[in-house]
Amino acid sequence: MNHFNFEIKYYDYLQKIIAISAVIIFAVLSFAPLLFAIIRLQTVTGVSVFSAISTFFDRPSNLESLYFTLVEASVSALATVVIGLPIAWHLARSEWKHVRIVRALLAVPFVTPAIVAAMGFLALISEGGILWSIGIDLRLETGFIGMIAETFGWQHPGHFIALILAHAWFNLSLVIRFVEPPLSTFDPRWEEQLSLLPGGNSRINRLRNLWIPFIGPAILCSAVMTFLFSFTSFALVKWLTPFSTTMESSMANMGGAAGIVGYRVDASMVILSTSAVQFLILMLTLILLTMLQRRNNSRVSMISENVARNNHGKLNLIGKITIFSGLIFTLAPMISIFIASFRIRDSIGNGQFTERYSFDAWVAAWQGDLSYVSASEALSNSLIYAVVTLLVSLPLGWILSSTIHSLEKSNRMKLAKFVDVLSMLPLAISAVMVGLGILLGILRYNSSLFSFFLIPVLPHIMLTTPFVVRIMTPAMRAIDPAFEQQAKLLNLSPLRCWWHGRLSFLRGPAIVAASLTLAFSLGEFGASWILVRTGSWDTLSILVDQLMSRPKFDPMVQPVAMATASMLMILTFILFVIAERFRPKGDGGGI
Amino acid sequence: MNNNLLVSIVLMTMMLMSSLSGCIFDNGSLLAENYSPDSGPCKGAQIGHNDDGKLRILTYDINAISDEMIEQFTNQSGFEVEIIRTDDAGGILEQMFQTKDAQQADLMIGLDNSYLQSAIDNCLLQYQSAEVENISAESLSQYDGDFAVPFDQGYVCINYDENYVDGENVTIPTSLWNLTEEQWTGKIAFPSPITSSPGRAFMVSTIDYFENDEDNTTDAFDWWRQMRQNEAIFTSGWTESYEVHYTGGYGEWTDGHIGDAAMTISYCHSPGVEAYYSSNWTHSKSLMLPKTSFHQIEYTGIINGAANVVGANQFIEYLLSAEINSQMPEANLMYSVLNDTALPETAGYRHHSEIPTQPCTITNERISQEMDQWLSKWIIEVEY
Repeated sequence: MNHFNFEIKYYDYLQKIIAISAVIIFAVLSFAPLLFAIIRLQTVTGVSVFSAISTFFDRPSNLESLYFTLVEASVSALATVVIGLPIAWHLARSEWKHVRIVRALLAVPFVTPAIVAAMGFLALISEGGILWSIGIDLRLETGFIGMIAETFGWQHPGHFIALILAHAWFNLSLVIRFVEPPLSTFDPRWEEQLSLLPGGNSRINRLRNLWIPFIGPAILCSAVMTFLFSFTSFALVKWLTPFSTTMESSMANMGGAAGIVGYRVDASMVILSTSAVQFLILMLTLILLTMLQRRNNSRVSMISENVARNNHGKLNLIGKITIFSGLIFTLAPMISIFIASFRIRDSIGNGQFTERYSFDAWVAAWQGDLSYVSASEALSNSLIYAVVTLLVSLPLGWILSSTIHSLEKSNRMKLAKFVDVLSMLPLAISAVMVGLGILLGILRYNSSLFSFFLIPVLPHIMLTTPFVVRIMTPAMRAIDPAFEQQAKLLNLSPLRCWWHGRLSFLRGPAIVAASLTLAFSLGEFGASWILVRTGSWDTLSILVDQLMSRPKFDPMVQPVAMATASMLMILTFILFVIAERFRPKGDGGGI
Repeated sequence: MNNNLLVSIVLMTMMLMSSLSGCIFDNGSLLAENYSPDSGPCKGAQIGHNDDGKLRILTYDINAISDEMIEQFTNQSGFEVEIIRTDDAGGILEQMFQTKDAQQADLMIGLDNSYLQSAIDNCLLQYQSAEVENISAESLSQYDGDFAVPFDQGYVCINYDENYVDGENVTIPTSLWNLTEEQWTGKIAFPSPITSSPGRAFMVSTIDYFENDEDNTTDAFDWWRQMRQNEAIFTSGWTESYEVHYTGGYGEWTDGHIGDAAMTISYCHSPGVEAYYSSNWTHSKSLMLPKTSFHQIEYTGIINGAANVVGANQFIEYLLSAEINSQMPEANLMYSVLNDTALPETAGYRHHSEIPTQPCTITNERISQEMDQWLSKWIIEVEY
């Protein structure tokens, strides 16, 4: 018995050390590079970060990018809700067999690498693409779109709409994930009872007294998250709106020249001031998000999803059309990439070309005929980075979640919130800022790290750990403490207690977190783009961009880029299917 | 969530940043000393990495360096090759600056004459002793020293769409001022000199053009301001200008093409390349206005701090060998630097490639000294 007590004490002690170490490691990993980068930029420019914020407003192009970023992110959030809400509504409020498959398909865009999404939309909107074929010309802006431009004096409405659609496509699953679970488990008797009362006897009254208070916070949460992701959009902006830049893309363009004393001080100035302003805006957004999430956690009467669905009956025609349109919207860009990867143009003289369909581009991509690195090499790099990221992010995120949960259980709420917010802070630092942080904050202090193969893992860890925490923390909160107590009563060792009381319940969420970590690492673009332009860390998503950025005098270059994008898409899709198999029914938590 | 907690975290972060900024300025002189250009002659830098027998090449996405070529070099010399790649010529210079204290590569391939002098002035290159011969006088015209050897060349110049410049409604411009007229409103795409090498080369040639025209009251930056007022399109790179906006090139066959510009900046031999890949057909043409083209010569040189100098010299010899360098027009879409080489006649490559007789004559030294100032002026005229 003494031995056992000693073991428990030792175990508690060890747990504390692990928890504190994890918090410190995470804080150092996430913030040290950025602090060093700021120090470096302040040295080069000779001004402090605070002065830099005021100089941000002196340069007109900075103001233009700030204005454009705010507008596109806000409109993207609105459009995502407008498109996503009817889909979530119909998905939740009817009885049907294949709801899980449809839900999974609608969620694929969120884990699709941004560069693949960019290529997909480019193929979709360009001349010959699906949208162009039905008379909506968002790229050349002729016809109806051209009329809008002329009538309203709006420059490039087509490009803007394309970007908004792409952002809505990307973030659609956020609305569905937030709104559908409460709707699908909502006890219909509430609605029935309310409709008998004066406050719920009309649709408008029910909207005001039931639906807005019930799902309003969830809608707002998803809108704010969409705003956050659209604000830091880079790959989509780079390829879809050639006349505009977001703050993120303008930093990416100038990043290479920053941080060198006596050389292109203007570039360092732009990076320092833009990153400071962007950080402040993202911080404010995160504060808003945490406030909304707290409101969203309010409990209402819920019943089994199946019971609720049976009560609603079959999907009506409007519902069918809505869901079907949502699926078409989701699949169209992906199908467009696939088609483009097989389509090869051959010159037959006098400016005439024929098109043929073959696997040539896939073979060329795999062998690397048109690039330094073949898709197979880039794929293995991508997989290595993804696995190493997983090996660090998952345990780190797990320990952080466990720490938050333990602190909450022991009623140390303030400290729990501190760790919670700390784990979310990297979301306020965009991918390009993370990449620049590592470039300026670490690599320029220690040049020998330029040859360290695993450098790209660092930004991936910084960017994926917050997602692991977001998935694992709610899952840990949901475990009934009775199981762990029972395990303790059985006199099991701490390790077996943990195994039976916790791990067996967390296996599903952990697999979801692992798959998402792998998918995000595989598709990560912004930070890798910054690092790869100063090194030789080629990943699949970077290879797609490199191929697309090459002069395409040779007509094979574009299909090869599309084939590479397709490979990345398939890989991400496989991971996502694995994740979906393990996602608990009715789970809308996490992301 | 306790909002006060969040606000205090932000403030703490800011305070930490500002307190650290105090440290920076205290130590700033130390850093500056390490990074400022040497006033005296360059000294050999410390070797930046271990010599493990590998040859590390710092370059950008140059088509010329293919897998087969590297393999052949490894078979001949016994040196394994590792490529460290940046996104363009500017990236090579920036990378050498960043790693000045511990250079990670032995050989750079790809700095052009608008960047070379900065690299030499900042002691980033060392003497090379490769035995190369038969290099044309034209290729050595911009730099003939021991720090770098040219390996390919071309002329950056204005390209226009012959379908738009039909000689009736729109005539061939005879002065850069013609481009400020209404018929060119919103019809020209320029890669930005801030982020693009061809854009930078063209900006240099406009300085030469306006310094040598008859009107002494205006300079290049007046013209750039008027170009902005004439709704010229500015893009971050060559690809965006040529492929997305230009109507005369291959862009019309690619996804994402907009085709709103009938004129852009590319190489004088780009129409030749267009014809080469389209069975001797193109409607793109280069504009042969005196002083508006820039003779761009790309160099290779051994990095100051290289570990494998022997391998680097051997690679220079290999790159400048007749077998490899004469392939530049097909492999890298640039001219060879060797005597008695020309573009191939195949599919109109040579026929559609014009060589300007009066390119820009601004020296590399002047570019190195004044570039930052020019770029600042350009930003003011175009962005403000």
